[in-house]
Amino acid sequence: MSVWRRRVWRIAGLVTLLCVSPGEAGNVGTARGPSLPETIAAVQPKMVKIYGVGGPQGMEDYQSGFLISAEGHVLTAWSYVLDTDAIDVRLADGRKLAGKLLGADPRLEVAVLKVEAADLPHFDLARAVEVEAGERVLALSNAFGVAVGNEPVTVQQGTVSLKTRLDARRGAFESPYRGPVYILDMATNNPGAAGGALVTRRGELVAMLGKELRNALNNTWLNYAIPIGELRPSVEQIRAGKFVLRREEASSKKPTRGLTPELLGLVLVPDVVERTPPFLEATVPESAAAVAGLRPDDLIVFVNERLVPSCKALKTELEWIPAVDPVTVTVLRGQELVSVVLEARPPGGR
Amino acid sequence: MGIVWRFASKLAFVGMHVEQHESRRLWESVTGSIAAAALLVSVAILNSVACAAADAGDALEVREQQAFRAAAQRVAPSVVRIETVGGMERVGDWLFGMGPTTGLVLGADGTIVSSAFNFVHRPASILVRLADGTRKAARLIATDYNRMIVLLKIDADRPLPVPEIVPLADMRVGQWTIAIGRAFEADQPNLAVGVLSATQRIWGKAIQTDAAVSPNNYGGPLVDVQGRVLGVLVPLSPTETNPIAGVEWYDSGIGFAVPAETILELLPRLQRGSDLYPGLTGIHWPLESLFTADSTIPAVRPRSPAHRAGFRAGDRITAIDGKKVETAVQVKQEIARRYAGDPIRIAALRGTERIERELELVQRIESYEHPFMGILPMRGPRQADKPAASGVKVRFVYPDGPAAKAGIQPGDILVSAGGKPLGDLAAWRLRLLEYEPGDVLPLEIERKGEKRQLALTLGPLPDVVPSAPLPPGSEPSTRQPAARPQVGLLRIDYAEQGEPAWVFVPETYDPDQPCGVVVWLPPPGEVKPETMVTLWKESCERDRLILAIPRSAGPVRWQTREARLIPALVTKIAEQYAVDANRIVVCGSQSGGTVAIAAGFRYAQLVRGVVAVDAFAEGSIPEPNPARRVDFYLAVAARSRSANLVRQTIAQMRKWHYSLIVQDLGADPRELNAEDVAVLARWIDTLDRI
Repeated sequence: MSVWRRRVWRIAGLVTLLCVSPGEAGNVGTARGPSLPETIAAVQPKMVKIYGVGGPQGMEDYQSGFLISAEGHVLTAWSYVLDTDAIDVRLADGRKLAGKLLGADPRLEVAVLKVEAADLPHFDLARAVEVEAGERVLALSNAFGVAVGNEPVTVQQGTVSLKTRLDARRGAFESPYRGPVYILDMATNNPGAAGGALVTRRGELVAMLGKELRNALNNTWLNYAIPIGELRPSVEQIRAGKFVLRREEASSKKPTRGLTPELLGLVLVPDVVERTPPFLEATVPESAAAVAGLRPDDLIVFVNERLVPSCKALKTELEWIPAVDPVTVTVLRGQELVSVVLEARPPGGR
Repeated sequence: MGIVWRFASKLAFVGMHVEQHESRRLWESVTGSIAAAALLVSVAILNSVACAAADAGDALEVREQQAFRAAAQRVAPSVVRIETVGGMERVGDWLFGMGPTTGLVLGADGTIVSSAFNFVHRPASILVRLADGTRKAARLIATDYNRMIVLLKIDADRPLPVPEIVPLADMRVGQWTIAIGRAFEADQPNLAVGVLSATQRIWGKAIQTDAAVSPNNYGGPLVDVQGRVLGVLVPLSPTETNPIAGVEWYDSGIGFAVPAETILELLPRLQRGSDLYPGLTGIHWPLESLFTADSTIPAVRPRSPAHRAGFRAGDRITAIDGKKVETAVQVKQEIARRYAGDPIRIAALRGTERIERELELVQRIESYEHPFMGILPMRGPRQADKPAASGVKVRFVYPDGPAAKAGIQPGDILVSAGGKPLGDLAAWRLRLLEYEPGDVLPLEIERKGEKRQLALTLGPLPDVVPSAPLPPGSEPSTRQPAARPQVGLLRIDYAEQGEPAWVFVPETYDPDQPCGVVVWLPPPGEVKPETMVTLWKESCERDRLILAIPRSAGPVRWQTREARLIPALVTKIAEQYAVDANRIVVCGSQSGGTVAIAAGFRYAQLVRGVVAVDAFAEGSIPEPNPARRVDFYLAVAARSRSANLVRQTIAQMRKWHYSLIVQDLGADPRELNAEDVAVLARWIDTLDRI
């Protein structure tokens, strides 16, 4: 589906919701919790709209954010929009303030801005909550920039689909962020929505809406938000002026010398099409593969429990494993799955 | 656009949050739960729902979300994750990721059902990960190409958990539905919440939900608020039957599931290992009038089950397997839910006579050979205030053709065939679909105000172009032409992205005389429209043709997927100029010719003719749809690099009885010259022949 078409129907959805005024929503709540309109009325003043610079190919020059202190700290997504000295922050009451970039953690794609003001309504990051799949949530953002004047941002309602990790499969998502996310059952991740807030039906802060992202595993657009718990340490360091960009974790870094099929003695069929299935043509005599009993026509399906759907995927997966480490290889032989542990032998050695 | 309003209404529905509806739905679910509790082994979930109901102080929505979660957890043990190895990267316009996808256990012995979409890339191997983490190799036993589900089988070590099924009769539009997949996490299902939108969708084959349905849950179950299975999620399209049709509606608020009850009924057939296909009768309804037509048969294909059973055009179908039908849509709905090999009893009225026959639906109707009367009809001029046409005037009679032998002369008016009056060319073409070469067609014609009866023995379509110049295709307009749009060599923007096309509109353009359109795909690189116009100008002016020259995206060759430019370009031209739908032609040489052929296959509802020089068909050649005849003109040089492939294309197309003319270009490949273009133009001028 073209971006254009996707946007059209998403716009249609958002506009419709905007037309439903809080008054029509009825008094759903009970004596115990706030009603939906009450929740929205309490959360809206904490939201801000952010205007900066546009990106390449006519990408939007706006995004969303929310206040996290009474004295004007704003949490938002780290993006090209903030790549300017003149960041405009519009508060829910229509005030237009200059935003100063305090700092950002590009690894989490999060940034903290500061505006000069006092006694602002805000979220307290320390009181953010976690939610489970199936829980109903609200998303607030200036998606598509439709909240053009002195008006509050858009509210959407939906359900949490699942909590998962963006790095669950290598190469699936083109995002520097690799941690846990909430997958949302609602069309939230649209232009300008990044930096918006995900809250519970009681108005408790849950997560920050992420940027637009395509799931390369099945070519669909993803709706997701990053839990506040993941962002909080970096945000607090930025606020305190002590932020140091953390080094990449060892697990997400390629080893300097990784495995190859040759090191294990695996001879694959010629890689002729985009997704040649990794069938074994032969094993090198006396190699780890031969000793472990792998045979011609075995189909390699898993490397350390990760699916390898093609010769290319197998080679990529092996590159991530240090050449000195043992590796579990699972093959499909007929209808039977067989797992063996292989340890590369140094070239020339026995 | 349907998607827009469906999606809008989804959000509006959720946003409005009408309390009464919600309470009633919850109450129904709770009372339903209590009633069912005695029958259920697992009552823990229901207890939590029931207790929540007792605690009237809690917010409804808290209990609802508990119920969603409980429903997902209840069905989760039967929801498996499917991983595939190998396979194609792209199917049609859809780029396939590497999964994973979802499946549903329906038999304790290891019987698993999924969506055909998940396997259309033809993986080398399929692996199933059960909810408990066990991995098994799976065999694809059979595919249902009508409802787009597949049956997989694994060798289970122990009985697998089978979910509870909701019968179709118990489903209520508006009830909660939860769509479950295992595309993100192996250990946790992903869920999407919505309501049941309809129960008899896609010709009665599917139920519909507004929950987000996408490759993230295709193959997974759609469950009710108690975790009982309503159906298996699949992409479906009301007009196309291929496993990826409908994926363009993913996450749009229009999602489909095949009812679990239907799948259980189909299981024995699928378990035998034979694929299931939509069942065909050979009765043809033009898509344009499908939704307004009554159940009178417009045409029956020769060699089809309906034809053999004796049904003919004009018979009005009154019942199918005892169920009364009155409209074309009802007939289609009854047939669409059945499969090839199924028996079907059709009752019809022919005048006052009642006919009832049983026939067997087939997967494929034997390929059809178009009959030929040997006539070119007069075309115009178009007259808006003219009463409905009462016949077709003969422009030209093919020498020694069937019409010539029957004594038909230019200027005669064809009034009726087989006793039925046929007003215009479209009606004649539709009626001819019932005949094949060799059949005798009783005709009534009008000559100088006098009616005559004739019998015409139909022949095959000609494989040569008439050698002599043809008489004019239309009479001059009698009225003053209205203000006409720009003529000459123009540039027009027609695609969202990409270069504008060159378009040449002849000086003779007259809005009352619709023009043919020749889309010429030039060799990639620098385009010199003036050279093309010089070659074509005379033909364009005489035969009323518009020449359109788009440009390829790449500098070296045309890509087959660029075929999609052609409908966009023709549509754009038709917005400004009167276009003759019977003479829309795509031409090209080498890679441009391959794209032209692809356009002829893919856009048969638009393209009437294809000219390809030294070009072959990429991929397999589809069986032609007789109702959308496309004429092909293939020119090939003996020493062309692709001569062998072109010959294969020709052989396959002849086998399918495509309407095909082959021109020998001589020994060495060359550009078309003025003489070739004159012959081509004459061929284009005969595309509306009958």
